This record gives sequence, C-alpha cells and structure tokens, in this order.
Amino acid sequence: MRRRNCLGSRALMALVFLFLYAPIFLLIVFSFNKGNSNIVWTGFSLDWYKSLFQNRLIMRSVYTTLLVSLLATAIATMAGTFAAIGFYSLRRRTRTALNTVNSIPMMNADIVTGVAMCLFFVAFFTFWGDFSVWFNGVQSVVVLPERLTLGFGTLLIAHVTFNIPYVILSVGPKLRQMDKNLVDAAQDLGCTWMQAFWKVILPEIKPGIASGALTAFTMSVDDFIISYFTAGSSSSTLAMTIYGMTKKRVTPEINAISTLLFVTVLVLLVVVNLREARAERTGQERHPVSQKLTQMLDTPKGRLFRRGAAVVLAASFLIAVVLLTGATNAQPVVNVCSWGEYIEEDLITQFEEETGIIVNYQTAESNEALYSLLKSGAGDYDVIVPSDYMISQLIEEDMLAELDYDQIPNYGLISDRFKGLTYDPEERYSVPYAWGTVGIIYNAAMVEEPITSWSAMFDTQYAGNVLMFRNSRDAMGIALAYLGYSLNTTDEAELREAFQLLKDAKEQGVYQSFVMDEIFQKLEGGNAAIGAYYAGDYLTMLENNEDLAFVVPEEGSNWFMDAMCVLKDAPHYNEAMAWINFIASTEANLANMDYLWYASPNQEALEQYPAYYEELYEEELGQETYDIIAAPQEVLDRCEAYLVLPLETRKLYNDLWTELGI
Amino acid sequence: MSKELIRLRDLCMAYDDELVLDHLNLYINDKEFLTLLGPSGCGKSTTLRIIGGFTAPLSGDVLFDGVRINDVPPYKRQINTVFQKYALFPHLNVFENVAFGLRMQRRPDPSDPKRNTKLPEEEIRQRVLEMLEAVSLKGFENRRTDALSGGQQQRVAIARALVNRPKVLLLDEPLGALDLKLRKDMQIELKRIQQQVGITFIYVTHDQEEALTMSDTIVVMDKGTIQQIGTPEDIYNEPKNAFVADFIGESNIIDGVMVQDKLVQMYGRQFPCLDGGFSENEPVDVVIRPEDIDIVPVEQGQLTGTVTNVTFKGMQYDIIVDFRGFKWLIQTTDHSPVGARIGIKIDPDGIHVMKKSRYSGLYGDYSSFSDEYDELDTVEPEEGGDEA
Repeated sequence: MRRRNCLGSRALMALVFLFLYAPIFLLIVFSFNKGNSNIVWTGFSLDWYKSLFQNRLIMRSVYTTLLVSLLATAIATMAGTFAAIGFYSLRRRTRTALNTVNSIPMMNADIVTGVAMCLFFVAFFTFWGDFSVWFNGVQSVVVLPERLTLGFGTLLIAHVTFNIPYVILSVGPKLRQMDKNLVDAAQDLGCTWMQAFWKVILPEIKPGIASGALTAFTMSVDDFIISYFTAGSSSSTLAMTIYGMTKKRVTPEINAISTLLFVTVLVLLVVVNLREARAERTGQERHPVSQKLTQMLDTPKGRLFRRGAAVVLAASFLIAVVLLTGATNAQPVVNVCSWGEYIEEDLITQFEEETGIIVNYQTAESNEALYSLLKSGAGDYDVIVPSDYMISQLIEEDMLAELDYDQIPNYGLISDRFKGLTYDPEERYSVPYAWGTVGIIYNAAMVEEPITSWSAMFDTQYAGNVLMFRNSRDAMGIALAYLGYSLNTTDEAELREAFQLLKDAKEQGVYQSFVMDEIFQKLEGGNAAIGAYYAGDYLTMLENNEDLAFVVPEEGSNWFMDAMCVLKDAPHYNEAMAWINFIASTEANLANMDYLWYASPNQEALEQYPAYYEELYEEELGQETYDIIAAPQEVLDRCEAYLVLPLETRKLYNDLWTELGI
Repeated sequence: MSKELIRLRDLCMAYDDELVLDHLNLYINDKEFLTLLGPSGCGKSTTLRIIGGFTAPLSGDVLFDGVRINDVPPYKRQINTVFQKYALFPHLNVFENVAFGLRMQRRPDPSDPKRNTKLPEEEIRQRVLEMLEAVSLKGFENRRTDALSGGQQQRVAIARALVNRPKVLLLDEPLGALDLKLRKDMQIELKRIQQQVGITFIYVTHDQEEALTMSDTIVVMDKGTIQQIGTPEDIYNEPKNAFVADFIGESNIIDGVMVQDKLVQMYGRQFPCLDGGFSENEPVDVVIRPEDIDIVPVEQGQLTGTVTNVTFKGMQYDIIVDFRGFKWLIQTTDHSPVGARIGIKIDPDGIHVMKKSRYSGLYGDYSSFSDEYDELDTVEPEEGGDEA
C-alpha cells in the first residue's frame, strides 16, 4: 500500500515538474536551433546568440536594465536597511502595522503599481510644468526645465520604490534575531551609537542586507509591467524589448535572450538560497578560501586595503553613473514609436552614425493602443507611424505638429499617387512610410480549392480553422467588404448586419481564435488553415511554410498607408525631421521594403526593388511576389482605405465589439 | 567596605505609565559585592540599566564619586556590563571580542598631547591574553564564540568587560542560562574574580540562593521599592516584612499579637521569643523557619496538628502539617507518616516577629503547596492492564 502511494506521488511530482519546466526547456533548446523555426529542429548553432550581441536594440536595453537594476538595488538597499532599523526601534504594535503596510506593495498587482506610478508621474509633471513656468517668470537666477517626461529617471524611481519592501523584509528578521543587548554591549565598551552601528549591527545584519540586495536586483532585472508604464519612450528594459519583439513572432533570437535572462535570474536565486542555507548552518566553519581571505583582510594592512578598495569602488561607480547619464543627456536624441519588426535595424545604426543622433526606438501593438498611450500622456514620442485613419483622427484632435518639409527634401521622392491622400489632403502632417493590402492567407494543403472570396472567413466548412483579426476595424471591415458595403460606412443597419455575420460565425465555431501577430505561429505551424492578415507578412510566413497562399479577395479589401508624423510639442523636433528625411530616402526605402515585404511609397524604390533583390539574393524576384508586396493598380482599385469614422460610429463599433465578447 | 562610590537619589522610572522605580534611594560602596534581588518586574534590571547609562531615569540623580552622571553616555562611564545571555559579538572571535573595548579606547599621544592615539597593538594583545588567562580561557583566542559552551561564553563576557579595568562591573542575571551545577561553580568563580580585581560588582538576580552565596550586601526589591538592605545574614534572620521573609528561604508566616516584649501569642497560645519594641497587644506577623521547628510527641507539643503530606528531599523530609486549617512547612530528619497527629515545639530564637505591612496575609501559608501534592496523590494509574 505504502509503496504504491509513494510511487504514485513520485509520478505526480515528476508530472508537476515537467509541467513547470518543459516550456522553459523547450525555449532553451530552440535557442540553439540553426533554423528560425520554433517547431522544427534543423541542427545546433550559436548563430542566434551571435546575432543577439550584434542587435543594438537588445544590447542597449541590456545596458539600461543593468544600469537601472544596479542603481535601484544600491539605493533601495541603503534606504531599506535604514528603514528596517527604524522599524526595529519602534514599539511592537507600530512595527507590526508598518510591516503590514510594507508588504502590501509586494502583494499588490504589478499592473496596479505600474499604472498608479505612471499616473502619479504624469500628474506631477503637469504640476511641475505650471510651477516651473511661474518660477522661471519671477526670477532668472535658476532656470528650471519646464517639460519633464517619463524616462530613465522615473524608471529608476519606480524600481527603487518596488525594491525597498524586499530589502526591509529581508533585513528586518536579521535585526529581530540579533541579541538586542549587542548594541548596548558595544556602547558599554566605548562605542558611540554610530560606531556601534558600523562595528556591530552592520556585520550582524550583513547576510540580510546581501540577500535583500540580491532579491532586489533579481526583481529589477525581472520586472516588466512596472517598467512598461514608467520607462516612457526614451528607455527600454530588456523585458520590454523582448515583449516588443514578440509582437511579431517568437524568433529564436528571443529564445536566446530569454535563455540568458532565465539563466541570470536562476544564478541569482541560487546564490540567494545558498547564502540562506549557509546562514542556517550556524557554527559550521566557513569555506577555507573565504576564511583565509577574511583573515588576510583582518590584518591592519588588510583593513586599510579593504577600506581603500571600498572607497575606490564606490567612487568609480558614482563617476561611471554620472558620466553615463551625462553622456546620454548631452547627445541629441529622437524618440520613435513604430510597430514590431517594422524597420530594418541597420538603418537605425546608420542614422546614428551619420547624424550623431541617438534613436530610442519603441513599438506599440496597434493604432488603438498607440492612441490610448498618447492620450494617457505617457507616450512622449517625437515620431510615430500611425495608419491612415488614425492620422485623420490625430489631426482632428490637434495632436500632430506640422512638418517642416524644407528639412525633408526626400519627400519629393514619394510617388505622387501617395501624396495628398484623404487623411492628410493638404500635405502638412505626414510622410508615407509603407503601404500594403489586407487579404486572406491560407494553407493550400488544408483547403480543397483555392480561396478567392471573403466567404471563406464565415464558412462553417472551415470551422475551428479560421483566424480573425483581433481589432474591431479590420474584423468589421472584412464583414462589410463581404457584404459589399463600404469599409467606411456609417449606416447603422449595414454595420449591424456585418456584426451579425461575425457573431453568427463566432457562435458556429468558425473561428479558432481572434489574433494579431500570433497568426504567424499558427499559420506557419499549420495549426490553422485560413486567416486574414497583411500581404507583407504573408511573405514572411511563406519562408517558413511553403504551403501558404495569399489572395486579395474578389469583393475588394482594405489597403492601408502608414505614415510618419510628429507629435505636437515634440521635444526633439529637428531631430525628428532628420529621421523622417533619412527614412524617406530611396536607400532606406529599399532596405525597409526588403526587410518588411511591405511596399514602399518611394517611386524610385518601387522601381528599383526587383533589381535590388536580384543583386542581394542572386535570384530573380517573381512578378507574382512583387505584386503581392506592391499590389498593382487594378487590385488597389478594388480596395478602399480606412477613413476616420465619426464619433458616433466609433462608439457603435466599440459597443458591438464588446457585445461580441473577444 | 570603604568609601561610597555610587549614589542613587530619588530615582523614578515608568514604562507606559506603569511605575517601575518609585523614589529609589541607594548608595553603593567601593569594592563592594552588592546584589539587587527581587522577582521579575521589581525594577532591579532597570536600576542596573540606569547605572550603566542605557536608560535615563524619569527623575532623580545618579552620582558617581560625588559627580552627577545622568547625562554621561554609556561609552564615557567607567562602568562595564556583563549582559544577560552575554551579548558576545558573533562575527568576532574570542580574542577580538575581548579586545573590542581596548580597540575603542583613545588616550593622549605621548609625543603630542593634543592628539589622541589608539592603544598600541602589543599592549592590547598582552592585556587580552592576561585577562583570558584570568578567566581560565587561555588558548581559546581564535575560537568562534558560538563554538563555546555556556560557561565559557560567560567567562568571555566577563573578560571582555574587565579588560577595560572599570571601577564598577554590572552583571545582569549572568548565570540565568547555565545549568545548576555550572551555576554553583560560577558563583564561586565570580566571587573569586571580584576579590582578585578588587572592584565594585553590582549583581542582579532573582535567585535568592545566588544572592546569599556571593553578596556583601543584598538589596531586596519589589514593585519598584527597596524592601530591605542588609548582609545576607541580616536578610535571612531578620526579614523586615512578610515579602522578604517569603522571598528569602522558606517561611511559615502566622498572624500573631505581641502581648508584651519577648512574648507573642499565636493560635491563642503564648510563645516566648527574643523580639521587643512593639506596643502592647500590637498585631504582628510571626516568621518561623521550617528548620527551626522540632517535632515532639503530642502531649509535649506547644501546638498539635495533622500531617497531610510528606516529601523526601534527601537531606531531610518536607512535611506539611495542618494546624487548624493553616498549613505549615516543617523540615525534619525524622519521618512522620501522613495522617499522624504530631506536636511541635519552637525555641524562642526560632521565632521572628515583624510589624504588619502591605504584604501581611499574602505569604507563608503552604495550603496551595500541599493541595498540589494532594492532587498528585489522587492521580491513579488509569491505563494499566488492557494492553498486552
């Protein structure tokens, strides 16, 4: 009886561990995959690690992460230690109450902390703006900056804030374990309180401080949510960068960096636990090497050395921090917010080398997400790349700055077809970035005959195999196109009809799920047969699954234009102009077109691309492929661009979308 | 005992509105072994902490050699302390623990009297080793303190305090954590060390036996006030009130009336005694130590009672005897069976008469003691027999 129980519970335990660690194990294994698939193993290689270290976006965020974690750890450890000593000397009842208050932030949902801090900072900046304007007005000795933004400073403050409770939590027990007569004894033997602190309290609670600092550091490196809300546009931690990268698809590069992050945190945790375990084994002799070292450092000379080393370390750390933050502040900067994997990254390096302007490159998930970020005041970007209809809306709400086209000579290279479109008829606010069409991507091996119509998106014969857009505009757009209505209709009856179509299909189980960039994984892996998405992305998927096919349905579809705009009050206006001009150049457009598989609005680039491709890959670019990237005019004629909808209609969209319950 | 060294004048202290010291006055002589004795919460440790400078009194003065030292911080007082549970520094070895105070000391530089200098390393080393030898810990210098036994830790703590050559050593229940045998040895050891270094020891304990063994002077305290000051013999033989009588040793305390000098009446019977100085027919408390009572045949007894309990203690029997509902403890070498009627006889020098005090009627009855034994007797072994 007992034996079997034992076996059963062991099996259960093995299962639990399998469940816990199998995903991480898989991630680690595929970080060494030669190919770029997460499903098919094609051989061992370290290529992804190599490319990781060449990826400037990642390296910069590693640097930011380390800097913010180290600084936050140092500050939080100091503050937390003194706070713990303060708590300790309080009366018991007050202390218990304070400890509870202290542990609430740790229990609190990160997202609440993050949002609250973001709100607080933004509110403070507003107040600060008013104050500094007044202050600079009444005197001229000190000039205060009038515009503060989220950035490294706020990120650091946030990290310090959420780290302090962990330090208090690990130092507090050490203090309580300490014989409370120790301080009295030190004073009795000739110490002032301060001397007693250094000579007796500090050595006693050192293990607590060390494990508090390690925990804080781990938490800092680990954190995503709070950083996401407080970093603003100019800094990005590693976790944020990884998140940005996953928006498109999980590349083996992400596996590699995640593996490194996992290993780092694992090592830190092991160190913390070993320390604690060692501390518990009281009376046990210390490791001979560390004992020897301690003895050496305990001689008068050693003590001098130790003190000197500590001073030098602290000083060089401070100097490094000052230099680093100073250096980044002195350099011109431009903050760009675009979409995930929506730029050839070499262009950023090239631009930085040519102009000396540092590019802080961030990504948003969708037009709607970008819009709410801007509205909350947290996104203090210079350049954004919204889509057509969103541009109209931003212009309508007076959120964009007029561009200085004199500084953007490359605007002349933009094809006349793409100038003065409905979203910006007077050509005052935008420079086109890329365009494309929406169509159906399907797995030819999983359907019986080629798909030509949107009807496939509502057809119960494909139930459970269809992927639909997870945003109201595109999803409703498909239904409207299928019904033969305008994508920009404001007629409630037409909209409700389209909605009913979607709803019925959903209830009949047509849709496997509603997705955005997850579609890459699903279609590439053959987990779904049909999905609606962007033409350029189809070509990326095709590289990993040759069975995929693309069609712009006969009923017509959406064609979209993403264009670069500058936000009103952008802090780096001239740098923004330089960036836009650089990206509008033919060379940049060619590089981007090749990387994105989205069509360029630059006439020269459009014409030169087949030759560019041939030179680069030493093979011809088929006309069919080219037509998918840059849809020919007869396809565009069937398509319709989105226009900004009246508020009433937007509200209806919202209500219907909510009713659909995605 | 020579001149006065420390004087406490009108000390008051309270924690959370609870009075801990109530207008305490006390002087302590140089080279004296003085013990503050009392139950927990009596204010003895607080008094010690005030002398050490760790706690400031609410009101009153602390004088050292005639100088008021209320505002002198502990690290400037010529006083060192051996703490409860020793408070050795866990991160330092035995040598460094003992050297700690010396390393903190500064004295004028011989070459430049305006500057202060540390003690030379050689002097520190020599003094520490000497002190370790004095407490029989030679060769333990490099041990970690948590690798020592309780008694050894105790001696490190004493060495650490004495190496600074203080004028006064404060000891806060230093033997509380040791087992009985070790405690007895350390009592003798402490007394020896005190006589050897020839300084004042102020010792705090709740153990009356410890106090009697070591002290020159005992200060019995209760509820923040001093109940009696005296030599161990005075305190034992001539307790001032029922509290002291009960706290020091075992006592039967009986209501009585002082008929006249040298004649006290208990249980309606008159007993000759040696005390005097009371008014006629004044109600008094009478103390009779259990060892001063002789058991005699009933017809010869001044009083007669029934044995309710007998406990064998090795050297003697502890017998509880009921005298008309009031239970006495008698220590005797003769065995009397439970239930026997016995007579007792008390010599005049076995009777000590005290004035009535706030403690009258609270102590000296062994009813609860015997009840306890009675209950134990009635417990039958119940789980016998039903298992193989």
